Amino acid sequence: MATRRCLLRLLSRRLVAHGPQPLALASIASRALNTLAQPLAPHCPRVLDSPRLFPSRCHFATRSSGDEEEDEDDHYEKEGSEDEWGEEEALAAKPPSGKTAEEKVAEAAEIGYAVVGPLGDDEKLFKPYEPVFAVVQIGSHQFKVSNGDSIFTEKLKFCDVNDKLILNRVLMLGSQTQTVIGRPSLPDAAVHAVVEEHALDAKVIIFKKKRRKNYRRTKGHRQELTKLRITNIEGIDKSETAAVAA
Amino acid sequence: MALRGVWQLQKLVVNYCDWGGSSRGIRAFMETHLPAFREKNPHLEVVTELVRGQHPNLKGIYKNHNERVVCVRNLPPEDILLQATRLRNSLGRKVVKLRTRHVTKRPSVQGTWTTELKM
Repeated sequence: MATRRCLLRLLSRRLVAHGPQPLALASIASRALNTLAQPLAPHCPRVLDSPRLFPSRCHFATRSSGDEEEDEDDHYEKEGSEDEWGEEEALAAKPPSGKTAEEKVAEAAEIGYAVVGPLGDDEKLFKPYEPVFAVVQIGSHQFKVSNGDSIFTEKLKFCDVNDKLILNRVLMLGSQTQTVIGRPSLPDAAVHAVVEEHALDAKVIIFKKKRRKNYRRTKGHRQELTKLRITNIEGIDKSETAAVAA
Repeated sequence: MALRGVWQLQKLVVNYCDWGGSSRGIRAFMETHLPAFREKNPHLEVVTELVRGQHPNLKGIYKNHNERVVCVRNLPPEDILLQATRLRNSLGRKVVKLRTRHVTKRPSVQGTWTTELKM
């Protein structure tokens, strides 16, 4: 059976080489088997090794060569794209959603209302306390922050530890003399923060039980959090005396 | 993992065994990913120790003298890199449930509200 299959493939090869002939291959094969059997037998083991003789699909038409080329091209394309993703973001998503473009990274960061600035170097970012607060929104959570506070948010994907962030969705600013309320947000305000850690929360055990029904499930869950330290609030007059009488 | 700009993880000890099968992943990790990890974190002292007959683990020593040990037996090298990155990304604090998501020392700027406050 194997030799017969081998011969059929060889025959299809030879017919394709000579020219497209949409004839029933079985009849040709049966005639050719007798003529080609003996001289081809020593060739069969060698020819069997080559993978081209056994493509995934059986095809006896001129499309055979085209289909094989497409398969090979697909394999090469997949290998190349995997390398690109590996270089760009080691920890981020693997599925092919086009996250390699830096514009998409910036957009996704904006959805979480955090823009990644340059890494912190030797500059002194951590100033003493100033009596100014801001209400800032990250994702769906809002915080009232001041200088030097720490915030635990959901994991922010596109920033590493010791990165500077600018939180640009500011809803309200306040100082000892002024209060600025946004509708709904303030366009000129900015809150600077530094990423302190990316860590997992303590384990929470989710236990489900239906009594008298022999149903009990236990699941552990650790939420990934990011700790931000607020360094500076911009967009409001920070002086402690009322400078302008409105 | 940086408190006010200061990295908290001081030393990462990579314990492995050269005979056991559970150390296969970490041996591959030491050849493929560890040099890049060392270069990305020059402030971190990475030490590899051979401990025969034991399962492999990663030990992180923090500035507050806290030690976090992660057993990496039978893990592929990518997962070991993830665990090492997690150790490097975290402060050395104890893993307890968070009391609040907002930690502050000065909660009020314009004065705490009371019922007698007149605007």
